[in-house]
Amino acid sequence: MGLAARVLEEAGLSTVVLTMTPEFHRAVGIPRVAAIEFPYGRPVGQAGDREGQRKVLLMTLSVLEKARAPGEIWPLPFTWPEEPKKADWQPPEMSPLIKLYLEEIKEARRREAEKEPNK
Amino acid sequence: MGQNEKKVDGFRFLPPGLKAWVRTFIPHEDFGGPIPWTPLSKPLSQTTISLVTTAGISLKSDPPFDMDREKREAVWGDRSFRMIPRGTTEKDIDVNHLHINTTYIKQDINVMLPLARMAEFEEERIIGRLAPSSYSFYGFQWKNTDFVEESIKPISEKMKREGVEAVLLTPA
Repeated sequence: MGLAARVLEEAGLSTVVLTMTPEFHRAVGIPRVAAIEFPYGRPVGQAGDREGQRKVLLMTLSVLEKARAPGEIWPLPFTWPEEPKKADWQPPEMSPLIKLYLEEIKEARRREAEKEPNK
Repeated sequence: MGQNEKKVDGFRFLPPGLKAWVRTFIPHEDFGGPIPWTPLSKPLSQTTISLVTTAGISLKSDPPFDMDREKREAVWGDRSFRMIPRGTTEKDIDVNHLHINTTYIKQDINVMLPLARMAEFEEERIIGRLAPSSYSFYGFQWKNTDFVEESIKPISEKMKREGVEAVLLTPA
């Protein structure tokens, strides 16, 4: 999505990306980021929560006016009401990509776990 | 760079294995290259805005995004896009995405593509106008940027024709 924002910005459009993973900015270089700690698939908020969605969107749109230089990340001050395990954002079936890379994913976890005790 | 207090952890909702794996793709250093920049040319209250999401939303009257091929070819993702007119509601759409739970978008399109909220902002003169068209493409593009030519450039041309000045992008 960062790449899409870059292409639109090059075409003369101002963009803001409302993202749950602002870390991707480090890989791509996103023009304007509003960062939100919400589960995947629901960046604007909970289903049916009109007021909550409005608050998120008003702050996100304000980044279009507030950002002064390319690459600014504006964290939004919202907290998802459920614990990550309860957020139920994952697909009902493991994605084809995850199935393909399952061993690599397990290996990455093992390596991370080995690093933990040294922290 | 952030001006607020909240620290957003982009990995908080990922299970530990995925979190460790995704981290291997993300550099530790800040992005060092040039970033394209179009400053907002007028106040929001006079700006025409369109929306783009990666959630794989299509109108029921259009072909759905292709999940069957991705199920056969795990690293292939549909590169096409769909136009979503303003006024579209959850009743009018299909949502196809193999990497998220699409249930909530089917309950309320605004969690992903906030067309109703933006129409309210237009009514309240918080924004100038919600453009006639918004867009969805499919966010799973694994090490492939063909979607830029096949989707994002045609989208940007259509936006220009509709007088769009700013774009809110919502990755799934």
